[in-house]
Amino acid sequence: MAAGRTLHVRCATWEQVDAFHTRKLRRGKLLSMKVPFQTQNGAQVTLGLELPNGVVVAIDGNVLKASPIEGDSKTWIEVELVGFTEEVLARLRSMAKGAEQIVKPAPAPPPPPPSKPRVATSSNVVEQPSDERALFQQLTGELRRLRQLAVHEVLGVSRDADAETVRVAWMGLVRRHHPDLVARHNAPAITHLAEELTILLNRAYDRLRVALVAEGRATTIGSTLQHPSGWLVGFEDLSSVDGSPVKPRSASGSRPGIQGTPVPAPAAPAVTNANAAPTTPPSNVQGGEAFEARARAMLLEGDANTAQEVLAAALCVYPRSRPLRSLYYVASALAAIYKGEMMLATSQLETALAHYNECNEAATILEEIRKHGHVRVDEIKGIFR
Amino acid sequence: MKGGRAVGIDLGTSNSVAAVIDKDGRPRILTTAEGATMLPSVVWFTNDGPIIGERARDGLDFSPDTTIFGAKRLLGRRFDHPEIKKLARILPYDLTEAPNGDTWIQLTPGRTISPEEVCALVLRELRTMAEAHFGEPVTRAVITIPAWYDAAQRQATKDAAQIAGLAVLRLLSEPTAAALGHGAHRGANRKYLVCDLGGGTFDCALVDVEGGIFEVLATTGDPFLGGDDVDRAAVENLVRDVRTTKGMDISTDAVAIERLRIAAQRAKHELSSSTSTTLHVPELVQLPSGRNVEYSRALRRDEIELWSSPLLRRLDPPIRGALEQAKRKREDVEDVLLVGGMTRMPAVRREIAKATGREPSALDNPEEVVAVGAALEVARLEGTIEGVLLIDVAARGLSISTSGGDCELVIAQSSVIPTREHRVFGTRADNQARVEFDLWEGESPEADNNRHLGRYAVVDLPEAPAGDVLVLLELTIDTDGTVRLGATELVSGERLQLEQIFHAGLARADVARLARQLAESP
Repeated sequence: MAAGRTLHVRCATWEQVDAFHTRKLRRGKLLSMKVPFQTQNGAQVTLGLELPNGVVVAIDGNVLKASPIEGDSKTWIEVELVGFTEEVLARLRSMAKGAEQIVKPAPAPPPPPPSKPRVATSSNVVEQPSDERALFQQLTGELRRLRQLAVHEVLGVSRDADAETVRVAWMGLVRRHHPDLVARHNAPAITHLAEELTILLNRAYDRLRVALVAEGRATTIGSTLQHPSGWLVGFEDLSSVDGSPVKPRSASGSRPGIQGTPVPAPAAPAVTNANAAPTTPPSNVQGGEAFEARARAMLLEGDANTAQEVLAAALCVYPRSRPLRSLYYVASALAAIYKGEMMLATSQLETALAHYNECNEAATILEEIRKHGHVRVDEIKGIFR
Repeated sequence: MKGGRAVGIDLGTSNSVAAVIDKDGRPRILTTAEGATMLPSVVWFTNDGPIIGERARDGLDFSPDTTIFGAKRLLGRRFDHPEIKKLARILPYDLTEAPNGDTWIQLTPGRTISPEEVCALVLRELRTMAEAHFGEPVTRAVITIPAWYDAAQRQATKDAAQIAGLAVLRLLSEPTAAALGHGAHRGANRKYLVCDLGGGTFDCALVDVEGGIFEVLATTGDPFLGGDDVDRAAVENLVRDVRTTKGMDISTDAVAIERLRIAAQRAKHELSSSTSTTLHVPELVQLPSGRNVEYSRALRRDEIELWSSPLLRRLDPPIRGALEQAKRKREDVEDVLLVGGMTRMPAVRREIAKATGREPSALDNPEEVVAVGAALEVARLEGTIEGVLLIDVAARGLSISTSGGDCELVIAQSSVIPTREHRVFGTRADNQARVEFDLWEGESPEADNNRHLGRYAVVDLPEAPAGDVLVLLELTIDTDGTVRLGATELVSGERLQLEQIFHAGLARADVARLARQLAESP
């Protein structure tokens, strides 16, 4: 596999983290382990090191040696963690000290899409473990995984999936995770997890169908469809997809917006090494030009609220498009300017830039605000042409 | 099973039914002490304490101002709601406004009671029936509610149950319960139209069943159309008939009217199976001389149909409305379920068949099927029935507004629940310590068109310049349709304290106090 595999290593305590880089690693870079898949020399792997505080540090590496174990599908591999730099080590150490306040918005290419997009159908209803402890762990893991994904990935469908596919996938997943299915355990913790999972699924479904209607690819799915006006782009996205891999350095420490500090809750943010991502990250995925054109036309007319809605819908379909995302924040900043909330506008513009450094509109308006303390939207509308 | 037995309850406007699943897996309808399957949802507050059910009906004659029927219509309703204003004019008992704007009932001068407490008395009676059946304590229940109930009405129903000492396992929407009770979960995928014409209300819902998943797509209804209205229409005509045949006006004689009503109701039931019957009232009125006037009259089915025809015409618009809401044609409906005792009336069946363009399915027990559905839901939640999943959508949108501004939609109508959405708002002044906001049910930007659910404040905000503190407010609708709130400070990610300034419905402490009181009373 060209894109490489992701190996997940969970450290439950800081002692384990310490042990990881002091004892498990040889010569600071080499790690040997048994993995349950076939691989070959030179293959790329990404190591997801999960820290006790829920942060996942992605470290890239190459397989140096791969020796299959006889009579088994497993392989002994030796991995050179090229991404395990001094910087990462320093960050791990400072986090272990508990003094860690990540100053720079760590640019994070979004987590790799699930290796096998599951299209769940009624036939593959997975038996849940009857043991409550195992069930709890399974649900926790699933929840953590889904929280890092874009809406279409949550349902395991492709970005351009049609209404029927979305519905079938959602139904299949709800049939696995609905809290009613675990009600008989009479365990509040398990019911809560199942409910959280179902909330994620339902939100993904609701957003996808809104997006489908906005795109004109569906008229009604289920009952009436009214678009929630201008919801904030997924909170999970905020913390995990910030920063710009294009110019990672320029972002460091210079933007004190809300993106400056990672928000630990509710999503586990994936903090990834800035130097990593040797493979083409999906964050460069563009698209949604039609949406962008529509939104720009609206902004030109000064209709920031509608533009914001259009962009919000677009982001359901193209959650990784940085131009769209930054434009969304610009639109919401304009809406705030109309209401006279300059502080909110400023932070929205800074967010826009944090997402996409080359967002000229945000830079222009922000400069205007910094110079004059206010901005006349009518005068600068031309920049959206 | 932990904590006592569970029972399925159809808490109706005029009649309530309780059902359980027996050991052999079959649903069983519980019977009252009088042997009836339906408990009239009537509570008569006498000087010796409340009387519930069939015997409370006598109170309708003797003291209509302390005999409460149809309390379900008042549950969780604001006093200034147009429907309540209409009810206040026609109900024989007095309504009054609670301090928080809810509707309460004025029993006697100086004594008010909330509809929750009235419903709790009915629920407790049903609970007693279930305990007599099991011979064990019953502490949990699935209660059915109309699908269009808003958050306050749902909460009020839960409060009523809590006062009655029942923990609500789930609030189940009536059309879903009807489809479940009909056995839809065992059959093929189907698009149902459920028409529920009971004593007081007509509810209409589209329910899709697909691979064991139930989804309520649209609900409409007429809250003032039911069997009682047909009885009233019959009584009006009979009063006119008495005037022409006997030459006396009994329209102001409450006792005579009530006797006539009971006779008319009986005749109506008989006319569902036969085409003619005899209506007989042995003692209609007593003349000053002490002589009893007897009233007897042959009644044909077409007569009662003629009398109720203006009412029957009102069945069509809600059905049309439901189809329109779901953007369906009537050909898309694959099965029509008739629920509620009134659907036994042939004219009702005809009218619904005309409106839907198909012959409705005949149920053996239209009065009890909802309770059976509730009992099956109990079994489903306990894990005895597998492969069935009920998907619910938010009946109404949720909006919030800050500092008197426009309402902003947060959770759209028809979002699949459980769901969660959030809003971010910033402080407007330096070192602002609290942000107040209002929670509304409804999607209109104008507050007046929405139902006010409560006012809350996010308190103990950190000190910072205006706009630097951003509050992330999370709104969750859980699996039951209950609304929960949570607030986080966006920059630090810390949980913030929420303070409740005002909210609709009973306060938590009152519910607990009332529950204790009721448990202690005989």
